[in-house]
Amino acid sequence: MKIENTKAQMRKGVLEYCILLVLDGKPLYASDIIEALKAAKMIVVEGTLYPLLTRLKNAGYLAYRWEESTQGPPRKYYELTEVGRNFLGELEESWSELVDAVATIKTNNT
Amino acid sequence: MKKTFTINISGTIFHIEEDAYEVLQKYLINLKNHFGTDDEGKEIIADIEARIAEIFSAKTGDDKKVITVEWVDEVIKTMGTPEDFAEEEGEEESIESEAKRKRRLYRDPDHRVLGGVCGGLGAYFNMDPVILRIIFAVLFFVTSGAALLAYLILWIAVPKAVNTAQRLEMRGQEATVKNIEKSIKEEVKEVKESYKKFKESDTYSKGKKSVEGAGDVVYNIFKVLLKVLVIILGILLVITGFFGLLGLISSMVIGQSFVSGWPLLWSPEVHVPDFLNYFVEPGTVTLGMILVGILTGIPLLAVLYLGTKMVFRYKSNNTAIILSMLGIWFISLIALLVISGTQIKHYKDRSSITNSQVISCDSCQTLYLNVAENKYEDYAELDWDIKDFNVYMVDGEEVFVGKPELDVVRSSTDDFVINVKYVSRGKSREDAKENCKEIEYQFNQTDSTLVFDPYFFLGGKEKWRNQEVYITVKVPEGKAIFLNDDMDEIIHDIENVSNTWDGDMVGKYWVMKPEGLTLKENN
Repeated sequence: MKIENTKAQMRKGVLEYCILLVLDGKPLYASDIIEALKAAKMIVVEGTLYPLLTRLKNAGYLAYRWEESTQGPPRKYYELTEVGRNFLGELEESWSELVDAVATIKTNNT
Repeated sequence: MKKTFTINISGTIFHIEEDAYEVLQKYLINLKNHFGTDDEGKEIIADIEARIAEIFSAKTGDDKKVITVEWVDEVIKTMGTPEDFAEEEGEEESIESEAKRKRRLYRDPDHRVLGGVCGGLGAYFNMDPVILRIIFAVLFFVTSGAALLAYLILWIAVPKAVNTAQRLEMRGQEATVKNIEKSIKEEVKEVKESYKKFKESDTYSKGKKSVEGAGDVVYNIFKVLLKVLVIILGILLVITGFFGLLGLISSMVIGQSFVSGWPLLWSPEVHVPDFLNYFVEPGTVTLGMILVGILTGIPLLAVLYLGTKMVFRYKSNNTAIILSMLGIWFISLIALLVISGTQIKHYKDRSSITNSQVISCDSCQTLYLNVAENKYEDYAELDWDIKDFNVYMVDGEEVFVGKPELDVVRSSTDDFVINVKYVSRGKSREDAKENCKEIEYQFNQTDSTLVFDPYFFLGGKEKWRNQEVYITVKVPEGKAIFLNDDMDEIIHDIENVSNTWDGDMVGKYWVMKPEGLTLKENN
């Protein structure tokens, strides 16, 4: 049991939730998502994101469309699908449950 | 001054310095290997490439700057290496545990000349692949190509290290004696522990538990023994397979004259194809040899493959190859049976010819029978299993000779008569008769002395058709013969009144009396 491993496991579980959160309401393209996640210190290297995006897309939670860009080639814009929105709702629920659980334990300890 | 390349990343054109290009290319190959080549992997790579293009575009701007190594390093740092992904994703196999993986044999696509076999072996044995390549090259010449075969087998059988996990396994924990010792010690410790548990459970609670514990101990001991045994067996199989193939190849290849000058460590005495020429029609010899080669070669290959697999514990999935090998083997077997069937025809009928020769020596009372010197005796004799036939090497050629048999009987006339009966088989009576005519056998007469050759030749075509030569010396009543000492080489079961054994009949005079051949007491 290594601390890095545990941390990584924790972050891994939450990362998908964060990606969906970032995309909630507005379509974004990969670099925007990276910016948001980096600002929140959720990821260190960008390469981690792409496999997750592809997996979420293949699972049907995300869809993308190509959009012309003023600078350079067309960009892939990701957005939540209907299924994705439902999934995000469930995740939100379990997240608040987790937060409550941790908070309860903490207050009981003090 | 530096050379630059023009590259296209995700639809955008960049100028890149040579060294930067190499680093970037290697990085992308690593990513491809990490994510795999299925649709999902391809999509991920495309996305990453698009992002890399974006980063470079922002840096180069409109003034067409050239991409340098520093930029590439920066991009790699931003995007992360496969090792970083593993860390960030917190996969079970983090870098530390990767290093502890047991080492497996893979082909190394990064360090390869042909198939990456030497590169992979180098990683496995922690050696410089160049040394292994030199060893292979030397072995190739010394073993007249068998090493090449071994290389090809490894090429086919050993999987290529494609993804990161396999690459790490390739360079995993060293398979040194120390490590093997360590892993065996660990196993032994496990055995001890389960034995201890077994003892505790035996003292505290008798019954079902102790049975389970005993089973555990036995199982663990068995496991350790089995592992050691498998490795030993594997090494034995590799040696057997390798030398078997070496022998097979050299006996087949060296038999053909065009490579007979090649240097060899181990050279067989028997030149198989030449040898078969004595039995089989020339056209079928080559085909038959190939079939025999396949029939023995494929099982040997299988043995070698199994052996390497046991020793190196590599994973492989070669069902198609194994099945096709099996198919080829069965087809060869059937073909060989069919060919043998056509060849057996040549032995179907048996026929004989008898030549009679009256010995013109009216004054002779006693005939002296001798055996001519065997002029082949000094030549090397080849191993040969068929009774009464010998093969000698004379000036690099095989001479195939049969051994005649001599009998002594009563003559129906008043003369000594020598009958020589030639017997042979053939595909028909006529053919058999023809084969009889081909047989060459000689004896010489000088006055009252007869000298018999101790061998006969098969004749022009030199095909073995179970040829036989029987000599019958007919002795008229009242006359005698003297069997010289060396006659025991060819005489066979001569009937006599005293029932004397052949070996004791030589060196003596024998008279043909009304009751039969009788030992002459006072010579």
